[in-house]
Amino acid sequence: MQTQNTDTYLTGIVYKKNLGHYDVHHNGKITTCSVSAKLWKNFKTTKLPNHTGTRVKEVSEKHMDPIAIGDRVKFAPSNADHGMVVEVLPRKNYLARCSAKPMPGAYAFEQVIAANLDQVIPVFAAADPEPKWHMLDRYLVTAESYGIPSKIVITKFDLVRGKRSEDELINILKRYRAIGYPVILTSAKDGEGLSELKQALENCHSVLVGKSGVGKTTLLNALEPGLGLRIQAVNRATGKGRHTTSHLEMFPLDGGGTLIDTPGVREFGIWGLEPEDLAQYFPEMKALLGQCKFGLSCQHDEEPGCVIRQAVMDGRISPYRYQSYLRLKADM
Amino acid sequence: MRTYVKDINADFTCKNCGCFVSARSEVSGVVNRNHCPYCLYSRHVDLFTAGDRLCACKGLMAPIGLALKNSRDKYAKRNPGELMLVHCCEHCDRLSINRIAADDDTVKILAVLGNNSEVGPSFLERCWYEGIHPLRESHRTLVQTQLFGSAALMASHARAY
Repeated sequence: MQTQNTDTYLTGIVYKKNLGHYDVHHNGKITTCSVSAKLWKNFKTTKLPNHTGTRVKEVSEKHMDPIAIGDRVKFAPSNADHGMVVEVLPRKNYLARCSAKPMPGAYAFEQVIAANLDQVIPVFAAADPEPKWHMLDRYLVTAESYGIPSKIVITKFDLVRGKRSEDELINILKRYRAIGYPVILTSAKDGEGLSELKQALENCHSVLVGKSGVGKTTLLNALEPGLGLRIQAVNRATGKGRHTTSHLEMFPLDGGGTLIDTPGVREFGIWGLEPEDLAQYFPEMKALLGQCKFGLSCQHDEEPGCVIRQAVMDGRISPYRYQSYLRLKADM
Repeated sequence: MRTYVKDINADFTCKNCGCFVSARSEVSGVVNRNHCPYCLYSRHVDLFTAGDRLCACKGLMAPIGLALKNSRDKYAKRNPGELMLVHCCEHCDRLSINRIAADDDTVKILAVLGNNSEVGPSFLERCWYEGIHPLRESHRTLVQTQLFGSAALMASHARAY
């Protein structure tokens, strides 16, 4: 049996994936790779947790993928442009969500969005589509749970400038700034905030997340004008985005660092968090944990002597963030 | 997507008297059921607007008075306004006014009117400060008219004589 010499393996970073093929960058050269059968086998077979025998069962979810954008992989080049990924190197961190269920009763699974990140950039439009702040809290909690810092980016700021909704938006963003999340107001139309954003992205591996139509790809086009990525306007009839970007791709930035563009998501389920642990991923609540009358057993909902509820009453915690906390806990 | 499961219009059990309360609008006659129809107690869960459920206090709110809410009906200028219950949070002392529902215990409502005079001048002062005009014992006929209608009230007077 022939075996390939492991010395011929190259190490690269996955920049793009599309239908089982991965673009791996190595020394400025792109190699389109498939995944080795061994890697798939190791990934798709797992021991059942309560199984007494030695048999293994295949994971039935066909959408699961062993490789994420940003992964450092070892690959064996087969010719000039093609190769085969044979190993995924250990990740520094990763960002994942709970997959959408294709039908009622189906199993959800962990869907890794990107790996080896320095920061998460939740993108929200100032208007059109209207921002859903509860969704922002979901992104922030997910990023906190994976230990990745976040920077909030607001797009289409020109749509609210000078209107009453501008004051409302600024007031809402104040509470995120007070917690410690940087907020960048941008407008791709008139270039506002782009230099600030460029500075924030410099020498970092970042991922853009947000729902359809908020302007993630437009922002990327504005940052890197040569890319010419496809964009579409929001649907006038429904007021929703049109799912224009349909694959994950990482782009190198002129100022150093990379930026991952993701397809817009309608839902962002939180994966792998226990409801009891949720409060520690709200930075403003974290410092108060354990000080309640019932200590760490407090659910911060109906219990008497809860310091977090008291902090909400005193104005130290935003009531909207507290409501988000209760909603997320109820969704788990 | 799974949505927020805490439905604000869901049926509930009263924290004060323990009675089961249906929040169906067909039963209560109001869209937002915010107090128990048996003991008239409410809970402090709204912060800025009715139904926002943003308040973290969650204390019990006792019915401490009745008030009239000015009507904006330009075709009924002589309408004195809608009869409202004044609630006070037992935990943080916040006052709020709530609409009376169709299935509220009228005997309890009239009893609340009697309690108005017992709560003292500080209550009245706070009510005026918050823009609430509490009713007193002298307004009993007005309250009865609001609760039972003028025709029913006249009929009961006629029976009495």
